[in-house]
Formats: sequence, C-alpha cells, structure tokens
Amino acid sequence: MAKQKTTVENPYVPKPYKILEFHRETSDSFTVKADMKINHDPGQFVQVGLPGVGECPISICSDSREFIQLNIREVGNVTTALSKLEQGDTILIRGPYGKGYPMRYLKGNSLLIIGGGCGVAPLKGIIDYAENHRGDYKKLSLLLGYRSPDDILFQRELVEWKNKYHLQVTVDKNTHGKFCYGAREGFVTDALKSMDISNNNQAAFVCGPPIMMKFVIKSLKDKGFNDDQIFLSTERLMYCALGVCCHCMIKGKFTCVDGPVFRYDEIKDLEDG
Amino acid sequence: MQVLRLEKKRLNHFLNVVKKGFELIAPVKSDLVRFSKIHHAEEIQLTKNSYFPVKEYFFRKEETLFQFEGTRITVPAYEAKKRVFFGIRRCDLNAIKNQDIVFIRDMGDPYYKAARENSYLLGYHCNTAPSPYCFCGSLDLVDFFDLMFFDKEDHFLVEVGSEKGKSLTEKYQEFFTDSQRLITRNEKTIPGVHRLENKDISRFYDHQDWKKGADICLSCGACTTLCPTCYCFEIHDEVKTADPVKGERKREWSSCQLQEFTRVAGDHIFRKEREDRFKHRIYHQLQYFKEKYGVQMCVGCGRCIEGCPTRIDFVRILNEMKNGKTENNG
Repeated sequence: MAKQKTTVENPYVPKPYKILEFHRETSDSFTVKADMKINHDPGQFVQVGLPGVGECPISICSDSREFIQLNIREVGNVTTALSKLEQGDTILIRGPYGKGYPMRYLKGNSLLIIGGGCGVAPLKGIIDYAENHRGDYKKLSLLLGYRSPDDILFQRELVEWKNKYHLQVTVDKNTHGKFCYGAREGFVTDALKSMDISNNNQAAFVCGPPIMMKFVIKSLKDKGFNDDQIFLSTERLMYCALGVCCHCMIKGKFTCVDGPVFRYDEIKDLEDG
Repeated sequence: MQVLRLEKKRLNHFLNVVKKGFELIAPVKSDLVRFSKIHHAEEIQLTKNSYFPVKEYFFRKEETLFQFEGTRITVPAYEAKKRVFFGIRRCDLNAIKNQDIVFIRDMGDPYYKAARENSYLLGYHCNTAPSPYCFCGSLDLVDFFDLMFFDKEDHFLVEVGSEKGKSLTEKYQEFFTDSQRLITRNEKTIPGVHRLENKDISRFYDHQDWKKGADICLSCGACTTLCPTCYCFEIHDEVKTADPVKGERKREWSSCQLQEFTRVAGDHIFRKEREDRFKHRIYHQLQYFKEKYGVQMCVGCGRCIEGCPTRIDFVRILNEMKNGKTENNG
C-alpha cells in the first residue's frame, strides 16, 4: 500500500488493485475486472496505469459497488502494456472522475443507447445500471455498430441483452457472413433511421467516433429529439483528470470535470475540431 | 493598509539581513534578467522585469509526484523552503494570484501549496512600463502582495498587504519608519500600459484576422513557457535504466501550442491547425478562465509577445479586429 511521508492528500497518487478477471473481447480489446470498491455513476472514468508506463483515462463499463470493469482497446503505450496482464496482477487506479450520465433524473424514461466501436464501453455502464434499477426505466433499446463481426464487444452479454431489450447490432461489412447476434450490414445510423421511435419520454445516449456521433445526432434530431434529450460521452487526452492540465479542454469546458458526459445542448456550440 | 518608509540606501542592508533568515529570490541580470537566488543584495537589478516569470518557483518546470518500486508507492515530502521574493511586478503578482486559484483553491495541489505557503511576496511597483509590450493597465489587476515597494527617489514607501507582510516588517522593524501617509490611487497607476482595447473577444471567434498570428506561428511554445499564468502540464513516468522496476512519476510543463497537446489514442488530433491552437491560448487567457473563475487569466506582462521568435503581437491583432482593420500586416 501507499506509504506517505506526509498526511496531505495527494490527488496524483493512485492505489494498487488486483485484477479479478481478464477477458479478451476481440483481437485488439479486452475487459479487466478490478477489485476496486467504489460508488460511481455510469459514464464516469478512472485513470488506469502501470508504474513505469503511465496512465490513461478509461470509462467504467460496469455498475457494481464490489468491483469495476474496464473495457480497454490496445491503441497506445499504456493500453498495450495493460493488455499483457493476467488475472491476479496489480494495476494502479485513481478515481472515479468526471460527470457521468444523470440516471437519477431520467427515471420514468425509455433509454435509447447508440454506440459505435469502443464507444459502446461507457454505454454498457448504463445498461448494467438500468438492469440494477429495472423498475425505474421503461424500454431499453440498444443500437450497437461495429466495423466487422470480429470487432463486436461484450459477446458474453449480448445474448442476454437480446433476450431482454430491443437490440440491433450493425456491422459496416459482414466480411465472412458470420453469425453476429442478428446483425445487419450497414451503419448504426441506418438502423436508427428505420427504427420506429419517438422522442416521447425517451433519452438518447450516444458514444462513438466523432463522425458517427455527428450523423447519429442529426438522425435523432430528424426523429424529433430535443437537444436536452441527447447525452454524449466525449473523448479527449487527459493527464491529471483534475481539471488542471488543460489537455482535455473543449473550448472553456474541461472534459475531465465538466464531462466526459455532456448533454448535447451544453456543448453543441463548442465544436473546435 | 499600513504604509511604511524604508530609506533607499538601506535597501541592500535590509535584504542582506533578510537573506540570513530566508532564501532570497530576486531579479538578477545574467544572460537575461531572471529570478535567481541572491548571494548579495547588490546583484539585484530593478530596471527591467525578468524575462522568465517567477512561476517556476511555485509551479515548477518538473515535479516528482511520487516514486515507485513496482506497485509500491512513496510520496516525497513536499519541499518547504522558506523564501522571500523581492522585485515581483504587479502583473506577476496577479499571475500568482491566478495560479493560486487553480492550484490551491480549485484543486489542492500539495506541491504548489507547500511552495506558496512558505513564500513571502515583496512586490516592486513599476513607475514606468518596463517593456514596450506591457498592457497590464487594460486588465483588471488588483493589489496582491505581502509587501509592495513604491520607488520614491531617495526612499521606498512600503505598503503592507497581508499578515505575512506585516510579520516581516515587525521582524525587521529597525529598517522601517511609519510614513504617516497612504498610497494614492494615482501612484498605483502605471502610465502607458493600456494597449489592449479589445478585451471582450467573444464575438470574434470566426474572425479572419486570427490568421495574422497563426500564419507566422512556429508552434514553439515560447509564449506559454514565458507566460506567468499558463499552467498546463503533462505527466509521465521515468524509470531507472539499471533497475526498471524503480522510477518516478513526474509532472512537467507542456504547451497548448504543440500539435500533440490534444492527440488521443488512434492519432486523432483535436486542434490540429495552428490557428485553432493560437485562438485557444488567447481565448483561455481572456475568456474561458473568466467564465470558470470570474477573472481574466492574462495579466498583461507582454512576455508572450516579447519572447515570440516572430513577434506575434496578439494585442495589436485583437485591436485591429475591433477597429475593423483587416490589412494583412501581421
């Protein structure tokens, strides 16, 4: 455990946690379950790291007080180093940070969850949360888009989701005609367009690549959704996660403290590339 | 506030005595004027403001956040050297005030806090603008100091600004006499430093004149390094080559003017263009910080202009936007 020479709380210092389970999702992504027992909202994130390698922000994709799950894609130094870990290994984590999805204020609504690629990870936190608070929400609709059948995340959970909720998986191209949970070929926006859905008592949650989010928002607007019914989770580079280092600023907003979840009307005028 | 008098010929004696109880930091002329540890008070020069701001003594260029051996973490004791700073100008004092908001009030950074709590800030009032690029008069600067020295020919009037300042004057009371007067508003005004006419830039975001600066920007980051208020940083790990299990996590100054500043995994860069980065710096200084903390971050020292290798004068660019001049002479 951390040995501190002073009693001042140091916000930069992570704590060690054991990996309870390491599960490979796809060829370039995996899900880690760590024994971190914290209260958090879906959509919040933690800084995950390894000594000597560094830290990176990862959103929590579970809803439990007993552990956290982190879905991680191997794209940088830290995530590649993390991909080499196994059950029983120790990782350094600090957090949770940021504002998550305002689930308590959305009671009584149906939830429309639209994710693209690794953007599905923070949204899984909502799915788990809604399952734990099933009486609070009406219908759950999941539209999850991936590049190919090989990129589909959370395959362990998908069968259950298919049985319980309205689930539509899309793949940009079904290269080898593989079964993928009733997936249709095309973009997630196409699936959204053909969906019979209104904005009545409905909140939409969108996370994915910037270009996908842009088109999904447009489709949602076409369906009659108001800006304040749409919640986005944004990605930026973060070092401190404390609202100071400035890397994650979107104009005047700090993604790490004001986000990463924003209601669309809060940030629609802030696009700066 | 109480105003004391110190005879000018006794200043060096005073500082040399202070030096016995504290580490004394003041502007010294070497290659450039910079804040350095003083060995003899005679080294101090007060004609020019320092080229580098004093921020590096509080928000250090590099800070060890903790040491690790595997996943075992040790946090070093926060440095607590007692220091007296002499010769800080009004702009730089306000810059410290603004960084206090970020590092102490907002976030509680233990390293910054320890350095600040153990420091005494002795200001030196500018009777004239020390640089042609100064524009502190255009910004809403306030009195922020422990002691402020007003240069009056053969003596200094020393305004006490805090309990800390008061304790110093009591400790070294043999140097001070009561001045029997107050510092007037007029005496606190610095002439010729009202260059920035355009302070509300909210409606200029899409103005074509940003190109005047962006087109000649080299993305070197000198502006943010020399800025007394800029506070962005990055965090990285350094391991010992002989024993890679051991190492340190460090915080180091960074710059929003560098392209990789907003690079995320998968190589997407949010502010890829120089113009976006140039604008971000100016908007953070004049608008975003104010939206968040109620005060403009920029203090008008002009270092970002003086130290820019292509002399991008953002003050002139903003004034020309306001006045509708769009000829490309940036």
